[in-house]
Amino acid sequence: MNKLQTLKRPGLPGWLILTASVLLVLVCLFPFWWMVLSSVKTLRELYTVPPIWWPAAPTWENYRTVLFESNIPRYFLNSIIISVGSTALALVLAIFASYGFARFNFKGKPLLQSFVLVGQLLPTAAIIVPLFVTLRVLNLVNTYWGLILVYMIITLPLSVWMLTSYFKNIPVELEEAAIIDGASRLECLFRITLPLSLPGLASVMVYAFVTTWNEFIFALCFATDSSVKTLPIGLAEFSTEFNTDWGAVMAASVVMTLPIAILFLSMQRLFVGGLTAGATKG
Amino acid sequence: MQKQSTGYLFVLPALMVLGMLIAYPVAYTGLLSVTDNAGNYVGLDNFRRVLSARATPTAFWNTLWWVFGSIVFQVILGVLTAILLNQNFRGRAVVRSVTLVPWVVPGIVAATTWAWMLHTEFGIINYMLTGPGLIDEPVGWLTNGSTVLPVMIAINIWKMFPFVAIMVLAGLQSISNDLYEAARIDGASFWEEVRYVMLPQVRTVIVAVTLLLVIWALNHITIIYAITRGGPANRTLITPIQIFRTAFESVQFGQAAALSVMFFAVAIVVVFIYIRTLASNPEETR
Amino acid sequence: MKTLTMKLAMAATASFLAMSAGAWAGEVVWWTPNFNEARARELVEKFQAANPDVTVKLEITTTDGLPQRILTSLQSGAAPDVIDVQHGWVNGYAQNNLVLPVDDVLTDREDYIPAALEYNTWDGKLWGIPYRIETHAVIINKGDYTAAGLDPDNPPTTWTAFKDAAKKLTTNGKSGFAITGGGEVGNTIFRSLPFMWMLGGGIISDDGKQVLVNSPESIEAVTFYTDFLKEGISPTSTLENDGTANRRLFIAETVSMYQSGQFDIQSIRKENPNIDIGVIPVPHPDDGKTAAILGGWSFVIPSDAKNPDDAKKLLGFLAKSENQAVLTDTFPARISAMEAERFNDPILQVFKEMLPFGRPVPAHPNWVQISQAYFDGIQRILLGDEDVKTAMDGAADEIEGLL
Repeated sequence: MNKLQTLKRPGLPGWLILTASVLLVLVCLFPFWWMVLSSVKTLRELYTVPPIWWPAAPTWENYRTVLFESNIPRYFLNSIIISVGSTALALVLAIFASYGFARFNFKGKPLLQSFVLVGQLLPTAAIIVPLFVTLRVLNLVNTYWGLILVYMIITLPLSVWMLTSYFKNIPVELEEAAIIDGASRLECLFRITLPLSLPGLASVMVYAFVTTWNEFIFALCFATDSSVKTLPIGLAEFSTEFNTDWGAVMAASVVMTLPIAILFLSMQRLFVGGLTAGATKG
Repeated sequence: MQKQSTGYLFVLPALMVLGMLIAYPVAYTGLLSVTDNAGNYVGLDNFRRVLSARATPTAFWNTLWWVFGSIVFQVILGVLTAILLNQNFRGRAVVRSVTLVPWVVPGIVAATTWAWMLHTEFGIINYMLTGPGLIDEPVGWLTNGSTVLPVMIAINIWKMFPFVAIMVLAGLQSISNDLYEAARIDGASFWEEVRYVMLPQVRTVIVAVTLLLVIWALNHITIIYAITRGGPANRTLITPIQIFRTAFESVQFGQAAALSVMFFAVAIVVVFIYIRTLASNPEETR
Repeated sequence: MKTLTMKLAMAATASFLAMSAGAWAGEVVWWTPNFNEARARELVEKFQAANPDVTVKLEITTTDGLPQRILTSLQSGAAPDVIDVQHGWVNGYAQNNLVLPVDDVLTDREDYIPAALEYNTWDGKLWGIPYRIETHAVIINKGDYTAAGLDPDNPPTTWTAFKDAAKKLTTNGKSGFAITGGGEVGNTIFRSLPFMWMLGGGIISDDGKQVLVNSPESIEAVTFYTDFLKEGISPTSTLENDGTANRRLFIAETVSMYQSGQFDIQSIRKENPNIDIGVIPVPHPDDGKTAAILGGWSFVIPSDAKNPDDAKKLLGFLAKSENQAVLTDTFPARISAMEAERFNDPILQVFKEMLPFGRPVPAHPNWVQISQAYFDGIQRILLGDEDVKTAMDGAADEIEGLL
């Protein structure tokens, strides 16, 4: 938004924005901050009554364990490949499907829209065994592709639904004008609708990425070889039958979480509005 | 609009991928629900067994509380946060990123950290409350029958409201400036702008997000399972956890499948009604 | 698994399976938990040196989600050749036809602790080979004993004396004895069921035909157990505590006694070297013997194993006395293996003495649900919802339907 518009526009009073922001940051960060604190505490300081606010001598030992003595770096790479792969695939499929749902009326549309959600409505416990069999038939157990594909069940329904709602918000008149000018449907999608829903696209992308990044039970059952295991499995590897190296788990969680938060921070431009300003009908 | 059959071409690839993955699990679950562990056909036996279990009605009501409690607050908080983050202020980028943190933290870690912070003895929360004398003695957040489910819901809200905020924010960002200008010409105040410009424009987004939150609440058991496993005395037992336990702890895949089928039937009806009434109709008139 | 559905699946996938059977003849895939990894690698090397025609591929499992992962692979027919599982799971697998009998591998039965073999037996056959066993004892803080005017070298042995001691230890914000009331069901079963056995009660009878959970003996034992919370001897957080939480409270020096196995000793020493640790047997009723549940791990061979013959060869090697002594994290299941040097640590003596009192939990197809019903009852008592009698009657009703 440029300055002139900002000036004209009524907004929330400054004190309210400040209070609300501070509150929001506190609520969101408090547990995470506790995780970070725990990751630099020594074993002795982790569980005390009463709890310790600040460790006497912060230690980097846990980070050393995570970065140099565990499988986390390797799993980090696996997680990136799988999350990027499944996010990209989900986005491509969802863009077309959402455009179809948002811009066309065809027979059985509500039914097909519900069908998209079917996979999400079956409890994980029920689908995990048959899904494993499906993956075996496709010969995809213990492969990147196996997990990438399986994650479609989790990410695709949401991506389709969210993108459909974003596409619907783009005025259809813009496309109609383009079609009169001789543009094809695909051109409409890629030249008009998609650029205009960039913030929506970005948030769906973040959703798909985060969900696959953190998924545990599918990864546990479908990736048994360390060449394809992902980060959440790495977290579980710090636990033995009767013990858990909590300092290391917390350090690993920070290592897992920070890159995403930073990634999001760096993608801010995508979310910033103004892209649509003036582009819509005058 | 013209050539409606083109619509099928657009939606087909996604439906095919999903169909390929889901077809067998759906058929398998259906078959399993009428067979016993040895593979013999047993009719509705599994259904009768799970329905007569003492935990089933408890789990059903808990699930309702869990879903509604979570969603109402997730949506309200999420939309308010989105409106806040849509304002222009310094440090907005940082606040937006920070808002994302609860959602990005791995579920299992978030759950364990909360369990730890809420522990009667080790917990920082009781320590913070007893220290300045806000409460006299530590509260057993997770051991008190009347606080444990609300606490679980609160954690779930904390985990997922950022998702709503980000999705709604994206919707707010796509609103054309003309609409705001029109409102301003009419001399609309901020809250009138929210009511007459922002909310109507992100309505479809909120509708879609709500539906997904329902499904999410119905399917994601990590928070409860990691903290209480449905206890104490089934106070936090929800149906998906019951299914999980029946399948993987009790090795009763037939009964778990029967419960899944019923769960699925209820869920699909709710979703279908929701889609027909809320999501489609206003758009059809466009 | 020979279910109708699986048959369909098999028919549909048969041709693919032939192609996708990745393992070649002579390869054995062995799933072992992460805490065994180093020792398992050592044994695999030895085994391969002696059997050059067999290659063992180790895949490391994690404790979180282990039952799910194993069941998924067993149910879907894509199983490894050897899996390490807890004793208690074997019966469920055997009853569902998911594992192979291994009677031909285990030749010297008399060298095994009988209770360990009982766990792995169903329908007259042996379905798993036990290699690791353990029981609980009571771990005490000797310093707290002295401070409370008790003699740690002359600890209480009966229920009455034990409760008196626990009461005396409950001072200055410390809890004398911590019971469990949260976490996985197993935590509380392991800690409370032995008390019922000591009086002749139980949850169900060993033959699985009778409900015992609301018998007068069982109710007395449950009362004894749950009273520790009601009388304020166990911490207020009891309902959210499992064995691990109790250990942490013990390490934080807010709990003076709790039940656990020898696996906790190392963590306590590492995290709080100031505590002078003592171990005493689980107390018994005035006129009865002590009891404990035998826990531990066994090897199973899945029905769908691609290479059962070589898997049996590997199991035969691992079942050798000297190899069991290496692999176990606690005690070996073989009596002769117990002579190894590492089991002579004085702190282990009481745990060793408890072993003969160790019993398996009843083998019933619905055992997990039965124990869950009982555990829900215990939680209702601890919550203050119901008294012991009502809660156990309610549990009995539920269990009746499961027998």
